Amino acid sequence: MKNILSILMVLITFAMSQKITIIADKLYTMSNQGNIPNAQILINGGKIEKVGEVNSTQIPHDYKIYKTRYATPGFIDAHASIGLSGIFNVRGDQDLNETTNPNTADLRAIDGYNPDDELVLYALKNGITTMQVGPGPTNPIAGQAAIFKTCGKTVEEVILKSPSGMIFNLGEYPKWTYGENGKTPQTRMATAAIIRKALQEAKEYTIQRKTQNSENYSYDTKKAALAMVVNREIPAIFSCHRSDDIMTALRIGREFGLSLILDSVTEGYLVRDKIKKENVPVLLAPTMQRLDRIETQNSSYENPALLWDVGIQIAITSGYESYVPKTRIISFEAGIAMANKLPEEEALRAITINPARIMGIDDRLGSIETGKEADIVLFDGEPLEYLTHVTHVFVNGQLVYERED
Amino acid sequence: MKIFYLLYLLILMLGLMSIPAGAQDQPVAFKGVKIYPITSDVIENGTLVIHNGKISAIGDSNEVQIPDMAVIIDVSGKIIMPGLVDSHSHLGIYPLPPVEANSDGNEMTGPVQSHLRALDAINPADPGIRSALTGGITTANIMPGSGNVVGGQTAYVKLKGKSIEEMLIHKQGIQGGMKMANGENPKRVYGPKGQSPSTRMAIAALQRILFIQAREYKAKWDQYNNTSREEKTGIPPPAYNLELEPIVEVLERKRTIHFHTHRADDIMTILRLKKEFGFDLVLHHVTEGYKVAEEIAKAGASASIITIDSPGGKHEAARFDLRNGGILEKAGVLVAIHTDYPIWDSRLFLRSAALMVREGMSEKGALEALTINPAKMMQLENRIGSLEIGKDADFIVLSGHPFSVKTHVLQTYIEGEPVFDRNLTQDERYATGGYEVSEDYPIMEANP
Repeated sequence: MKNILSILMVLITFAMSQKITIIADKLYTMSNQGNIPNAQILINGGKIEKVGEVNSTQIPHDYKIYKTRYATPGFIDAHASIGLSGIFNVRGDQDLNETTNPNTADLRAIDGYNPDDELVLYALKNGITTMQVGPGPTNPIAGQAAIFKTCGKTVEEVILKSPSGMIFNLGEYPKWTYGENGKTPQTRMATAAIIRKALQEAKEYTIQRKTQNSENYSYDTKKAALAMVVNREIPAIFSCHRSDDIMTALRIGREFGLSLILDSVTEGYLVRDKIKKENVPVLLAPTMQRLDRIETQNSSYENPALLWDVGIQIAITSGYESYVPKTRIISFEAGIAMANKLPEEEALRAITINPARIMGIDDRLGSIETGKEADIVLFDGEPLEYLTHVTHVFVNGQLVYERED
Repeated sequence: MKIFYLLYLLILMLGLMSIPAGAQDQPVAFKGVKIYPITSDVIENGTLVIHNGKISAIGDSNEVQIPDMAVIIDVSGKIIMPGLVDSHSHLGIYPLPPVEANSDGNEMTGPVQSHLRALDAINPADPGIRSALTGGITTANIMPGSGNVVGGQTAYVKLKGKSIEEMLIHKQGIQGGMKMANGENPKRVYGPKGQSPSTRMAIAALQRILFIQAREYKAKWDQYNNTSREEKTGIPPPAYNLELEPIVEVLERKRTIHFHTHRADDIMTILRLKKEFGFDLVLHHVTEGYKVAEEIAKAGASASIITIDSPGGKHEAARFDLRNGGILEKAGVLVAIHTDYPIWDSRLFLRSAALMVREGMSEKGALEALTINPAKMMQLENRIGSLEIGKDADFIVLSGHPFSVKTHVLQTYIEGEPVFDRNLTQDERYATGGYEVSEDYPIMEANP
């Protein structure tokens, strides 16, 4: 690990100056160019300069050449807990769940995110170069997510977007967290009511802030945060597993005209026509998620394929793990989705361009296209196969991980 | 009735490989298949003949004599290997759905529970068992949890039957091993209650006390048993002790200890106790085994290891490394890979081994770690774990290479009976998930 950190330091020093060519037997661009056999990518100044077949452009002599079998864009995990929920799972490194109030809309992931947690490095080694991380599953209104690159020392260095969305949680977790202590919510009804009430107040707050002199109206951090949601400045990310919870999310989204993203969506396949009708994108719980709760009993490996099949935009995420293992790896999850009817191309889209689009960062990331940031992963076999290794990871055009054999 | 008729049609149309019901007394030959017998070389074009629940012939298709009466099933292009053996599972003892009412793995009312038997809590109707069959698991060591220093007696079972009596491999006598644990888990259960153990020292102490008590108890009985009948007259036999009896079996090496342990120093602690008291020891999880692989090999312990997708989740699992399997293998340790279901998904058992292969374990070693090696850890290697004449006809049919993500288990057989067939919709739901919603499960149009 020290090696990688020192590599990082050196590379940061030479940032943006490095010129690289990657030559791949097969390149998954995730752009309109599709998959290119015998491809070459030119990288300069941290950006992708040119993508095409080998010899389509002369490689200038000062470009360092990397040859590989397969290459993809850096993987994008659109809902991770890494960095807020540390590897050791002890109080000292757990900053995901503020279980003191069902509405914690004013919490910001950036204020708890530890870019130095070992799991961030673990994700990077597995090809994950960008993650959206948000407060955890315990509160009906959990707080503000942010998008980070996975390599860098400080939040300021790695931040792409904050806030990137507001996390809402339906279903079992809020009930367990509060209900068992005799507090609200004890029921799904209360969870929905808490959310509706807060959104309604945020709406009124927005109007009052507009119509009244701001000196006469005190600033409320929670209402201000939720105002961004009701004003569609940031998306509302609703975590919901059971099909009735999914319908509740859609109902609240309609009522307040939210920019809605569904999250988890374990039973999505049971209401896929309803989700499709509202054209809502979906951040899926890990394909291999454990059946450790009632709301995940009907989890199906085929859920990603069944949603894709009707044209729903899907991203596969690592979600939240409370115990062992502390996180999932989205490429592993995408592999199982592929083994269960999702075409390989779509499985890769679900961890690259789709999450980039859903989070609105596809102008910078998610595919290998001229002008985009050079976040690229190299493999010695098919990217989603069990026996394949990630051999190299580039972030912003710099080699940040190289596998030792 | 209609459903049965449809099922029958389905079997006729799709399930040509299925054995017709009632054909059990007839030999069945699986022909033209690549076979991994495990204890001998891979057979490229093989035939496997089963009869009365046992393997009656196996070998190259050109050499195996198929009996005249045999039903012949063409399995060209497929792979057959032994049914998988999961040396560490909580199937049936934590049945689905996971509600308090179903939670029977950890009796956390006292740290020493040697008299508990997993078999008294295993629910054969657990849907998890049916799911495990879709992952190719045919035999499991079902264990109490690791919340206690001594968790209780484990059960060696086949995943077949409506009652635990049918499932148990040994119908009488010693029916499993003894679950024990050290490290964080027992500390976490008792420490916060102000009870012992709250330190690793106390965990080891409780275990030593138990072994010493068992040794003394055994000495009393030995003395009584060795006394002549005349001298015994009027002397009552020592009181029968339910807690110590199974520990005596451990000391007599009739019952194996299955020991949950993660950190290298915790591994060394139980090896120390093994040296002091002498018993057959299988280490379980063994997260930091790679740090003390030589010591494990030298102590003659074997290692049943876990695969997880990322390190951490608890302190003692933070140094998890997928290279563990390869390093232990190279050190000469007998290695099995386990699911620790529900920690890991039984349906993805082959995947657990594949990830170890990715990080340096040999393919041969990994296949053995799913079959013959765990069988050895349960002293069942004469019945299961490889495809050999006379062994139980427990085997699986795979669609492709065992360690490819694209491979599915197509069928699972236990003692010659088909217990899973992916061609049957209802069975397939257990493989993919969503078995409870079968009526509402959408059908996906075929891909272009």
